[in-house]
Amino acid sequence: MEHRTTRLNRIADHLRANWQIYVLLAPTIIWFIVFLYRPMYGLQIAFKDYSVFRGIDGSPWIGFEHFHTLFGSDQFIRALKNTVIISMLTLLFGFPMPIILALMFNEVLNQTYKKTVQTVVYLPHFISTVIISGIVITAFSPSSGVVNTVLDWFGFDKIYFLTKPEWFRPIFIGSGIWQEAGFSSIVFLAAIAGVNPSLYESAVVDGASRWQMMWKITIPSIMPTIIIMLIIRIGNLLEVGFEMIILLYQPATYQTADVVNTYIYRQGLQVGQYDLAAAAGLFNAVVAFVLVMTANTISKRYSRTSLW
Amino acid sequence: MRKMKLASAFLMSTAIAPAAHADGHLQIVDEPLELTIHMHWPRAQGYNEEYPVELAAREMTGIHLIDATSGKNTTDHNEAINLLLATGDLPDIVGGHRIKDAVNQYGPEGAFVPLNDLIEEHAPHIKAFFDENPDIAQAISSWDGNMYYIPYLPDGKFGRAYFIRQDWLDALGLEQPQNVDEFYDVLVAFRDNDPNGNGLKDEIPLFQRQWEELIRYVTLWDGRSSGSDTYHDFMVVDGQLQHPYATEGYRDGMAHLAKWYAEGLIDPEIFTRGSSSRDYLLSENLGGVTHDWFASTSGYNASLEGTVEGFNFVPFLPPASVSGVRMEEHRRIPFKPDGWAISHTNENVIETIKYFDFFFTEEGRLLSNFGVEGDTWNMIDGQPVYTDEVLNGGIAVNTQMYEVGAQIQRGYWQDYRYEWQWTAEAAREGIELYDANDLLIDQFLGVAFNEDEQRVYDRNWTQIQTYMLERQQAWILGTGDIEADWDDYVAQLDRMGYNDVIEVMQAAYDRQYGN
Repeated sequence: MEHRTTRLNRIADHLRANWQIYVLLAPTIIWFIVFLYRPMYGLQIAFKDYSVFRGIDGSPWIGFEHFHTLFGSDQFIRALKNTVIISMLTLLFGFPMPIILALMFNEVLNQTYKKTVQTVVYLPHFISTVIISGIVITAFSPSSGVVNTVLDWFGFDKIYFLTKPEWFRPIFIGSGIWQEAGFSSIVFLAAIAGVNPSLYESAVVDGASRWQMMWKITIPSIMPTIIIMLIIRIGNLLEVGFEMIILLYQPATYQTADVVNTYIYRQGLQVGQYDLAAAAGLFNAVVAFVLVMTANTISKRYSRTSLW
Repeated sequence: MRKMKLASAFLMSTAIAPAAHADGHLQIVDEPLELTIHMHWPRAQGYNEEYPVELAAREMTGIHLIDATSGKNTTDHNEAINLLLATGDLPDIVGGHRIKDAVNQYGPEGAFVPLNDLIEEHAPHIKAFFDENPDIAQAISSWDGNMYYIPYLPDGKFGRAYFIRQDWLDALGLEQPQNVDEFYDVLVAFRDNDPNGNGLKDEIPLFQRQWEELIRYVTLWDGRSSGSDTYHDFMVVDGQLQHPYATEGYRDGMAHLAKWYAEGLIDPEIFTRGSSSRDYLLSENLGGVTHDWFASTSGYNASLEGTVEGFNFVPFLPPASVSGVRMEEHRRIPFKPDGWAISHTNENVIETIKYFDFFFTEEGRLLSNFGVEGDTWNMIDGQPVYTDEVLNGGIAVNTQMYEVGAQIQRGYWQDYRYEWQWTAEAAREGIELYDANDLLIDQFLGVAFNEDEQRVYDRNWTQIQTYMLERQQAWILGTGDIEADWDDYVAQLDRMGYNDVIEVMQAAYDRQYGN
């Protein structure tokens, strides 16, 4: 009993002493509660025959019927497969790009040149997805697009890229890298800036080349950042940027382009089947949770870097 | 004392009603009554309480509408109405764009008031309309047999027409094509013989703003693309429901369209060029033929005058199909899924239905179509005629009407005289040409599902349609051969539950239309 009161006292003392920090923390916690925890109550509609008018509580339970519907559907399975393929390819090609960019910026000596190039590669991040899609559609247009014009110069046949299933993924992933690689490199640049300069100084004394310094000092020093970013990315693996896909895909390219989120949009939201959409979203979240746990555990065991 | 009372009563009534309606025969309530309204529609997400039409209706009927629109920050009408229903706090009137599915689904659950008895007892003008148009009354009813909304009823028959560059025909010494073979020859000539005279083979013989509209051309081989003014809709043949994309006429038509596409007669970028293609291809003097709306398409003759030398884009009759049938598959649907409904929270149901009825009276109909008499129009020889300011105002007449609160998506009966007055001469001639021929076909007006049917439809249909569209584009693009794939395609439709969907559609159809 006495033990507990002293402990409570200690907590109260702690709060009194550091209250400013807790006040600063409060908005974030409130945001999480309002926008992430409270809506979890609504997740139950994944197991209900949901009617907007009857409400969440008034709708009858139907168990796992929505999940049966989803996994009984070839199109959902195909969407799942496409999601995994697109995510993996994005990870494979998209994840190293900002790191490479950051390393390259780090080696550039001319400050004006560096600033200009940085601005140029950051810029696409600030353009809305709709505009980016418009640029992509125009660039790949068979009659006036720059890509086909270049193909034409070299004597190749023009290709109607955006109706070819085999071209969808390269175009989508490529334009994604173009849009985000520059901006994502900022985190790694910041990490590089935090590397202790004395390491480089002693390396210079030892006669190391710039290439050796990059491999032996810079990359190992920013490895924790890289791993944390990788774990976060793995958690978002199933969250393919579907706005861009909706703007770029066609029934002709569904075969390779339709992902879980676009499937949810068509099957669930456009026709108002919120319960089915919630079931698909819940499935997505569970998979993401498992992925992030796995990645974190592996990283903790082998590199001692982890999110928690 | 008595005299004074009379005088003050007289003063009051003149204060409420304008001179034209001093008899107050349209008054619904003695004391002003306020009703809240949700009105989400494409031109404005909300109901403006200061619309001149609203002010006039207020004076005539005594009922004030108060804006209580939900989801004003979204342009998605379904989302807006679902948001409204989810909050549970319904305004007295729920109106606007695409409310039919929501009111017919949630009406039987108790969210909206059934209107049949109310119309019978309190709305003589609406009743008269439905007595004359019993098929519309059937078509808007929910599965329980009740009507839950008063629709926006468009007027006029024709929407889209075939358009061709008459000046190109003249330049090449050709006549307007009268059948599908002549049509093909004209398109080939447009492709090969440089009708725009710039020495380049850059003409695009056939183009569409919406790629779905391309499928409409299967009617030239006796196929069908849709049963209504919505793309990919079901159709009724001899009382039996079918989907056009599962019929053999569609197969034959698609085989020919694929051939046309491969030959370069159809815009190679038809799937991605998007809504600006008509602007672009016409103003660049590249496009030859399209199937599009009468009014807006004939408008290019005025707007491109001087820009494109000799530009003359005219409507022509649908070419006769292989079996000799001239068919214009697209027509205006006689009612829209837009309109207004009475929600279960409304405490003045009778006054509300009377207010709805007001817009079906002569005064109310003129008001909801043309705006306030004396402001935007005048009665000349018994016809409502827009003022010169409206007709030559530099802004489209429909936009001006939306601004005063006319032609907005309340439940009202459109008057075609509204549109005719500002339809370009070329389009008027086209409409008269189409009117003189028997081109139109019956439309499928939709069915209302009960809960079990809805579940079968929801579970299967979106997927089936997705599959149909995937194959459709593949066949046009030549990544599959429809003749060779057809049996597999039909078998796959069966596997995906096509017959289950047709079965519930048929059951709902028979119940609704009393077969």
